[in-house]
Amino acid sequence: MLDGASYEKAVVGRSADPSLSPGQKGAAAVPDEPRPEILFHRRVRLIPALRELWHFRELAITLAERDLRVRYKQAVLGVAWALITPLFMMLAFTLIFTKFTHVNTGGAPYALFSYLGLLPWTFFSSAVSQGGLSLVNNVPLLNKLYCPREVFPIAAIGDAFADMLIASFVLLLLFPIFGYGPELISLLYVPMLMGLLFTFTIGVTIAVSAVVVYMRDLRLVLPLVIQMGLFVTPVVYSSHSIAKTELALVIYSFVNPLAPVIDGLRQVVLFGHHPQWLPFLAGSVSSVLVLAGGFWLFKRLEAGMADIA
Amino acid sequence: MREGTVRTTEVWKKFRQDDRPSYLQDRVATLKDRIQGRSRPSWRWALSDIDFSAEPGESWALVGANGAGKSTLLKILTRVMYPTAGRVDVTGRVGALIEVRAGISPLLTGRENIYLTGSLMGLKRRDVASRFDEIVAFAELEDAVDRQVKYYSTGMQMRLGFGVAAHLEPDLLFVDEVLAVGDASFQQRCLERIRYVLGQGTTLLFVSHDLAAVEATCANGVWLHNGGIRTRGPIREVLNDYRAAVEGEAESRPQIEGLLKVSKIEATSPDGGLPKTGGRLDVDISIHSDERYRAWVYLGVSEGAATPIFLLNPGRETMFEFGQTDVHCTIGSLPLPAGRYYLWGGVYKNWTNGEELVGWQPLTHFDVYGPELDAAPRAVVRLSPLHVDSEWEIEKV
Repeated sequence: MLDGASYEKAVVGRSADPSLSPGQKGAAAVPDEPRPEILFHRRVRLIPALRELWHFRELAITLAERDLRVRYKQAVLGVAWALITPLFMMLAFTLIFTKFTHVNTGGAPYALFSYLGLLPWTFFSSAVSQGGLSLVNNVPLLNKLYCPREVFPIAAIGDAFADMLIASFVLLLLFPIFGYGPELISLLYVPMLMGLLFTFTIGVTIAVSAVVVYMRDLRLVLPLVIQMGLFVTPVVYSSHSIAKTELALVIYSFVNPLAPVIDGLRQVVLFGHHPQWLPFLAGSVSSVLVLAGGFWLFKRLEAGMADIA
Repeated sequence: MREGTVRTTEVWKKFRQDDRPSYLQDRVATLKDRIQGRSRPSWRWALSDIDFSAEPGESWALVGANGAGKSTLLKILTRVMYPTAGRVDVTGRVGALIEVRAGISPLLTGRENIYLTGSLMGLKRRDVASRFDEIVAFAELEDAVDRQVKYYSTGMQMRLGFGVAAHLEPDLLFVDEVLAVGDASFQQRCLERIRYVLGQGTTLLFVSHDLAAVEATCANGVWLHNGGIRTRGPIREVLNDYRAAVEGEAESRPQIEGLLKVSKIEATSPDGGLPKTGGRLDVDISIHSDERYRAWVYLGVSEGAATPIFLLNPGRETMFEFGQTDVHCTIGSLPLPAGRYYLWGGVYKNWTNGEELVGWQPLTHFDVYGPELDAAPRAVVRLSPLHVDSEWEIEKV
């Protein structure tokens, strides 16, 4: 079933000797510890690991489906919950930021402006908070049979994506209300921005999920960190209100790759401009780094999970 | 034919030993070590130097005391756990029944769980769908399959788990001490199913403390002791060794006294040699008493464990006066095949449920000389290894 490529073994010397049948082995004294040359070293190679992940895609889909079912099965309002959270936040933000203080939206209605920020933010935060706990919550499944463990956080990200899609339907209501229509150019640029968003989200989520297995305390810290994240992400405000210069914007986008995603969405959908390329590039570079680092950390920690869990 | 093979060479696994609570700073240190690829001391070897292999269609039992490493070995074979050292090669799709609830989501229905386990085993949905009805029928869950599993009884969960593991055509089937949960008829059907998948070439690894079921199911056995392989080979030899060791431990407990004190125990044949199958066995026991008791004396013969092959009692109460009482028991025709057996005994105040005067315990052991026990057909459970003389006439009509 598996090519075993991600399950590398150390070189074996003595036991490869075919003349030594298992039955005869009892005669030799059992050593106190393994010979150092047979110590197990897990080598992770990217391509086989990805191939294996692809092999288990149905499992990821089944898991995502399971979590969606479980979530909405027990809820009275069902799928509506995916709409309610961003909708209420949008209403609250709109109330606060149009009545009490003013945010420069570049001329767009604030409700639309903030909702376009809330969609990717809600996706990111629910992916990290659900996906971050996905390994801990699935310990019985982890301990039953082998599967590439990434499927659990990835399934959670899939769920968050499904929620984002559902929540996007609110836009169908908001656009006519404010007399806006999404610019046609969106078809071209939105998938690109989503690619950036996914890269960053997967990197953060798998890293968090693996570390949480070893440090359960993080479960308690995680919601706090995510809440703080809302304030350093241009959801309620525009990046331009804190990054005045082009350089500052690039640095900001590098540190928080969600910024170019949200800025880009607003640029593209509301104004029909292309995204600002330099911040987008900065965000892409840092997202790829986060994904690579997250994957490395995950694979590093994966081997010992069954010992801890 | 299936192609499930297992091969481990020099597999070692170490476990954390100290159970002190780990505070945040400990975990940070552990995490740091782990990222740097170092490991910290205070470990013990859960498995040491395990060489084991199973070919397609073979059936292997893993026996041993709790903590001997049986489940750890299975976890390494399912690739859930990584060995500390050594090489593990497992080819083929694995169906595993590790714990009753492992991998079953209580919030999902039985139907959803079947598909989930299927994808965990690496099967496509349509493959699962084609066997879905068979699984449900086997598990007798026709009425419950669309109910959430949290409303299932333990037995129903077990049936679901076994049904899925055994029907999704695994190349390797790992069963870890779970069948005990099912009722007798379901256990029987599980064993039948195991026999069927064995016939199809599936490789079986069976962990159980039910030695009778183990003996009936598996042709070969491995006895794990403190993480190492103690004996490996045909199941009956392995079990004999294992039972003898269990007995050895029991025998080393030096307390053959309760309110009564047993002083002399002998189990001999009249001619002074080894007792023979179908021959006579004399048992002599001397019991000291400080009081008068009316009591029932029981003797039992076992292969090592406390569960005897047969029980004997005099059929009436025995009077114990102050001082020594000699009890003599003769078994006229010993119905045991060749092997080592253990004589257990106990003295009770009332008939079957009375207060213990001498607790049920091993008294001595004896070796029987005679024919070997006949081999049982696969998946036929023999409760007791008795030798019964029989004559057959088979005529062609």
